Amino acid sequence: MTGPGKDKRVEIAIHNWAPRFVSAGVPLADFEEVTAQIERWDDWCAVWSRRAALHESLGREALSQGYNRSAAGHLTRAALCYHFGKFMFVHAPDEMRRAHEKVVECRSLALPHLDPPGERVEIPYEGRTLYGILRKPNRPHTPGKAPVIVMCVGLDSTKEELDVYENIFLDRGMATLAFDGPGQGEAEYDLPIRGDYEAPVHAVNDYVGTRGDLDADRIGIMGVSLGGYYSARAAAFDKRIKACLSFSGPYSWVEIFDGRNELSREAFRVRSHSRTMEEAREKARTLTLEGAAMRIRCPIYIVAGELDRLTPPANAERIAAEVAGPKVLEIVKGGNHVVNNRRYSYQTQSADWMAAQLAVPKS
Amino acid sequence: MDLPHGKKDPRVESAISHWAPRFVINGVPLTDFQEVTAGIERWEDWCSAWSARAALHEALGNKSHAEGCNLSAGEHWTRAAVCYHFGKFLFVNDMTQLKQAHMKAVECRNKALPYLRPPGERVAIPYEGKHLYGNLRKPAGDARPPVVVMCMGLDSAKEEMDDYENRFLARGLATLAFDGPGQGEAEYDFPICPEYEKPVGAVIDYIESRGDLDVDRVGVWGVSLGGYYAPRAAAFEKRIKACVALSGAFERNGTFEGRPVINVEAFRVRSHSKDLDELANVAVRMTLRGHAKKITCPIYIVAGTKDRLTSPDEARKLAAEVSGPCVLSVIEGGNHVVNNLWYRYRDQTADWLATQLGQPRR
Repeated sequence: MTGPGKDKRVEIAIHNWAPRFVSAGVPLADFEEVTAQIERWDDWCAVWSRRAALHESLGREALSQGYNRSAAGHLTRAALCYHFGKFMFVHAPDEMRRAHEKVVECRSLALPHLDPPGERVEIPYEGRTLYGILRKPNRPHTPGKAPVIVMCVGLDSTKEELDVYENIFLDRGMATLAFDGPGQGEAEYDLPIRGDYEAPVHAVNDYVGTRGDLDADRIGIMGVSLGGYYSARAAAFDKRIKACLSFSGPYSWVEIFDGRNELSREAFRVRSHSRTMEEAREKARTLTLEGAAMRIRCPIYIVAGELDRLTPPANAERIAAEVAGPKVLEIVKGGNHVVNNRRYSYQTQSADWMAAQLAVPKS
Repeated sequence: MDLPHGKKDPRVESAISHWAPRFVINGVPLTDFQEVTAGIERWEDWCSAWSARAALHEALGNKSHAEGCNLSAGEHWTRAAVCYHFGKFLFVNDMTQLKQAHMKAVECRNKALPYLRPPGERVAIPYEGKHLYGNLRKPAGDARPPVVVMCMGLDSAKEEMDDYENRFLARGLATLAFDGPGQGEAEYDFPICPEYEKPVGAVIDYIESRGDLDVDRVGVWGVSLGGYYAPRAAAFEKRIKACVALSGAFERNGTFEGRPVINVEAFRVRSHSKDLDELANVAVRMTLRGHAKKITCPIYIVAGTKDRLTSPDEARKLAAEVSGPCVLSVIEGGNHVVNNLWYRYRDQTADWLATQLGQPRR
């Protein structure tokens, strides 16, 4: 899979991300074939976009035949492949943005045909708009408003990557609201990453309160990777959050920043709208749970991978040590970043735990 | 077999190189595939290594179940069953171990059945004075749904079918995956039966005996060697209204050159043949020559251009001979059963079959 002639940045992407891509829904052979074709990082986005276009055409064909359920699958896969073309491609913003527009277009086309369907929502935020994907469970276990999981993405993930996670919550009677916050997805062009992520989550929770079909008294939050910091940070300050899932989030971003690979650092520089790496490092200081973790009083379920090179498990241990409320700390043996290589060891378990926190009957 | 360190048994290499995409799309986590196969040097260790990984998933299922989280338990147990199954699938060199792993595969999938969405039910199908066993699942909210009879191949079993089942169920079709002669639970008592219309006939009799399935809307589906069984049944059994054949042979001959040794050995053992000569006599009975023209129901035939086990020419021969409507999808770059490019046919065949059996498009 990895040849001697490959660009180091290609090697980084392949080495770190195979289990993530596949468990998120990229077909294994797509991952193998696409990455085998790429020698230079500069080609990454284009080659993934070509593969994505194939899934997109299968989706559009199914749509034209009235096979909407199949179309939703193909278009969701198309969105994922475009997304992974785009995810770290910050050095060529025009190309990245073209792929990104296809991500949003394909997933949006899929939304009404998913089971259960999804809805694109606009969340007012500081005079601007954040965009999210809302899905509600088919068979709510209790009548009335659905409990809802606010889903925080990370440094390079976006709301279009979360189909598998969404389905696990939905199957268990919870609605999902995945959104692109500052520095993420559709918001990354206008709004830089901010450490006080409680602000955008506050706006999302306000939005939940405006809807008649969601239960603002039963809001859970989850976050993946850097989002594992965001979800914990928000839980510390917004008391409408009743329970928190934090997967491989850093306690203090600046402390692991220099240990991150160059793709990761550069993505943070660009998405924090920093001109230089020095400026980026300064901004990284604002992403911290110091003084915040102790304010987390709602139940929290913290997951880390023992072998995580990107966010070492010591971060999870530190968060767990400081929170003021009930906690579950799950450090998965042999787990990598976000434990994507052993999702079965925490994914349904944490969703079942969340359902219990939000008083959803067991599935 | 003595092997220098780091050099794998060719039977292990063969299994790895042929089967990674199949294992993963049928439910084995990618990292499980990588870690388990990396840890195996000798073929003799294949079954126990997979069983150890399966036991981990089984324990997760037991834990979820004990906590009352049955949906999760069903998912873990299904994963456990698939891992036990792949430990067993070609392990005919050690029948004691094979059977142990096999019983665990059946046990785990059985434990999962009531908690699947939609749930499944273990059924016993009368056949030649004994029984064949199947897993029946019905789409929610339909009192008398059409049903797909699912035919396994040489090394698959009904416990491997979760992904396929879910695609049919989502489109309003019930699924009845069963172990026929030479397959899964039937492989000990019944040898491979090239005249596969017999067991399929018994399955449809069984469907007819139930009030909750529509015997006027029966489809048949088959994978790999089952891709021969399904059209074979469709040629003789007129209660079948539509057929899907994935990477099946048109006819087999008595030579086994070029085929992986473990596959030939599985064929020998599951046909209850003493030696290759006896096996050859079974193989030559597998033919659609002269029979394919009796296939009058619509048929959807899938093959991969890079299939090293069954040439796509077999699919072309079948397509040329059938008498009814035919879709032939020979997929560029597809391997055996096109498991690498599953998105090229799994949903498409499910949509097509649902339409043939009168379900509205969805």
